[in-house]
Amino acid sequence: MWWYIGRRALQAIPVVLGATLLIYAMVFLQPGDPIKALFGEKPVNETIRASIAAQYNLDDPFLIQWLKYLGNALTGDFGLTYAQQPVSQVIGDAFPVTLKLAVMALIIESVLGVAAGFYAGLRKGKLFDSTMLIVSLLVIAVPIFVFGFLMQLIFGVKLGWAPITVGGDASIKNLMLPAIVLGLVSFAYILRLTRTSVVENLTADHVRTARAKGLSDRSVNSRHVLRNSMIPVVTYLGADLGTLMAGAIVTEGIFNVPGIGNLAFRAINRGEGSTVVSIVTLMVLIYVVMSLVVDLLYAWLDPRIRYA
Amino acid sequence: MTTPVLQIKDLQVAFRAGKKLIPAVRGASLVVYPGQTVAIVGESGSGKSTTAHAIIDLLPGTGVVTGGEILFEGKNVAGAKKGEILALRGSSIGLVPQDPMTNLNPLWRVGAQIKEALVANGVAKGKDADRRVVELLEEAGLPDAERRARQFPHEYSGGMRQRALIAMGLAARPKLLIADEPTSALDVTVQKQILDHLDSLTDELGVAVLLITHDLGLAAERADHLVVMYKGQVVESGPARQILQDPRHPYTQRLVSSAPSLASQRLSSERARVEVREQAVQTAAEIAEEVATHADEFGVGQATVVEAKNLTKDFTLPGGRPGSSSAFRAVDDVSFTLARGTTTAIVGESGSGKSTVARMVLGLLDATSGTVEFDGVDITTLSGKKQQLALRRQMQPVFQNPYASLDPLYSIYRSIEEPLRTHGIGNDKEREARIRDLLDKVSLPAAVMRRYPNELSGGQRQRVAIARALALEPEVVVLDEAVSALDVLVQAQILKLLNDLQGELGLSYLFITHDLAVVRQIADNVLVMQNGGIVESASVSTVFDSPREEYTRRLLDAIPGGSIPLGA
Repeated sequence: MWWYIGRRALQAIPVVLGATLLIYAMVFLQPGDPIKALFGEKPVNETIRASIAAQYNLDDPFLIQWLKYLGNALTGDFGLTYAQQPVSQVIGDAFPVTLKLAVMALIIESVLGVAAGFYAGLRKGKLFDSTMLIVSLLVIAVPIFVFGFLMQLIFGVKLGWAPITVGGDASIKNLMLPAIVLGLVSFAYILRLTRTSVVENLTADHVRTARAKGLSDRSVNSRHVLRNSMIPVVTYLGADLGTLMAGAIVTEGIFNVPGIGNLAFRAINRGEGSTVVSIVTLMVLIYVVMSLVVDLLYAWLDPRIRYA
Repeated sequence: MTTPVLQIKDLQVAFRAGKKLIPAVRGASLVVYPGQTVAIVGESGSGKSTTAHAIIDLLPGTGVVTGGEILFEGKNVAGAKKGEILALRGSSIGLVPQDPMTNLNPLWRVGAQIKEALVANGVAKGKDADRRVVELLEEAGLPDAERRARQFPHEYSGGMRQRALIAMGLAARPKLLIADEPTSALDVTVQKQILDHLDSLTDELGVAVLLITHDLGLAAERADHLVVMYKGQVVESGPARQILQDPRHPYTQRLVSSAPSLASQRLSSERARVEVREQAVQTAAEIAEEVATHADEFGVGQATVVEAKNLTKDFTLPGGRPGSSSAFRAVDDVSFTLARGTTTAIVGESGSGKSTVARMVLGLLDATSGTVEFDGVDITTLSGKKQQLALRRQMQPVFQNPYASLDPLYSIYRSIEEPLRTHGIGNDKEREARIRDLLDKVSLPAAVMRRYPNELSGGQRQRVAIARALALEPEVVVLDEAVSALDVLVQAQILKLLNDLQGELGLSYLFITHDLAVVRQIADNVLVMQNGGIVESASVSTVFDSPREEYTRRLLDAIPGGSIPLGA
């Protein structure tokens, strides 16, 4: 077991290296000169230009830039943004906000998705099931920003139940509406997944045997149907936390949440290599850790799976 | 007169498909008295399992009882309220289901699953229930029950799981136990142990048993009273021996004459076999002569078509620590020969290594050591794709599960055509003619060509698989459990077909099976395998009449119905 975790951690090293290299290459190939962009309309001052280029290693060949970044990152120095703030500090401010938002979305979507999916599966073909099918298809089909603006308009502007934008105060109360919007699409997927899995498990042989033992519907459903149906859902949820964090970019934009999505968006626009790479590497690490957590959860849910 | 535990009167069960009702059981009646064992016998689709499930209101999907009465201790439970049925399940009527592999929840400890039954029926709670679980498992014949109760189903073998399911079915001491094909997924020797145990246990407890089975021999051996079902109706019922010795209904007569467990006792099946062999050997000799005179054919045309010498196969199992591993010897020093036009059967229980041998003979798996010679050529030394193709052409497999061995997205035509196309034989027109001919050989109408596997029955699919194997006119066909998944009557048909084809085409068969019962009808020589090695190798008559080894004798004893004298 510990050996397994250790091996998975070792596997993360080439993944992270590859990811940083890939992202560095993309930022490097991005058209336009970031220094020119910094000067905006004003004429470029060559001495300042040279000093900025030296500070950010912009004149070095691509591989050297990457290696220098890696070397510094190993000592905990992720460089400075063009506004001369340490990248680690900028990310440190934005990351907890996005993490909070994503975890809230994850909780909302999984509780509602599993509950609705479970009930729809039990009542297959009935009104609730059909309604949920239409709802989930609608949610999956309509782009997320449409729901974002719509809910902002209804709950923020018209009803005034939630703040229109989050801004500086990222409290749980203020993040509620963005979290619901963020979790909507995954809610639909979890609902479908749970429903399919429940329908399949309801006809499983061991469920029939459980009924033959004299168990009531209630205990059959909770002990034998629900738990067995959770295995595919858990896989999805684990991968979803990463997707939620990366996907928060749209929702954060709509509700002006000072999170990592907003930060990444601005950094990409400015061609701020070190910031972009650091954010993406963090995301990759989250993915790696989450997939390990999913695998361990799997073993906990399903005793047939043992890692060696 | 005592009241019966269970009386079914003119039961009608149907499945709803859209607005239509498709009948599955059409007027079934039977009576079970306290302590009695009654068996329902029939092929799949005869409605025997549906009848059983109707009793405890566990019909699958859209099934509904549309008529008749199910009287449990005199009270009609057909269409009873949910609560009443729930009160009966477990405490009054127990169920031992068919497939031990799928009937235990893989996520819960076995003990917990038995405890559920105790708690739900109010027999015991908490610590008392835990103790009772261990007693029940011991009673079901599971050694080391206390430790076993804490294990998960995947740590159990098939036989152990079935014992756990028996413990579960009897946990609340029901008056009636429905045993739905309780051993059809198990090896014969395990089957015998389990049934013996179930017999003595139900005797001791005075539990009435309704046994559902497709095996007439097994039913006759275990039950006092037989009920034969066919197409949803009871066609015959009566005392077991009477039915076996003097079957009245034509369907029962067919069952009695073709059930392999019974047929294996008959010398006539061996005499019929000898005639087939004589014809096959003669045809095969002609083919061999042709092979010998044509230099471009594969092989040299000798009388021994396949010879395995000291075959050994080791598998490496990964260990718990990095870098550690252990070797597992699946096949240990196996040698045998297959003469042209004859059948050699490899018999053994699951895990004996018989399928691994088949895969090595086919060249689908490399041997760790030892050689396989096909017509004098060592197949491990074959170089290049061309020679390997030439070998594949001469040796074709038919596998156990006809549901899995045909591509569901390929039409029957395409499935049979594929080998012809791979080997570049004929043009479109010639291939079509060949496929028609092949379908005719396996007794399928040519119209089947345009259909897909899911539109065919299991027996029809197996015929298609045989046609596909014969498409390339091979000399050897490796039949890996080719009839094991089929109903008795279909099994008998396929065995007859294989015999006919062997006589006509001079084929040589390597017949892998776990079921000694079918061997007498098809094989000339028998290899008995156990734990990877050969324990006995002899002709069919020697193995059946005077087996040398204790293990072979055990296998023979385990054939159900072997001890029952037959009429006619």
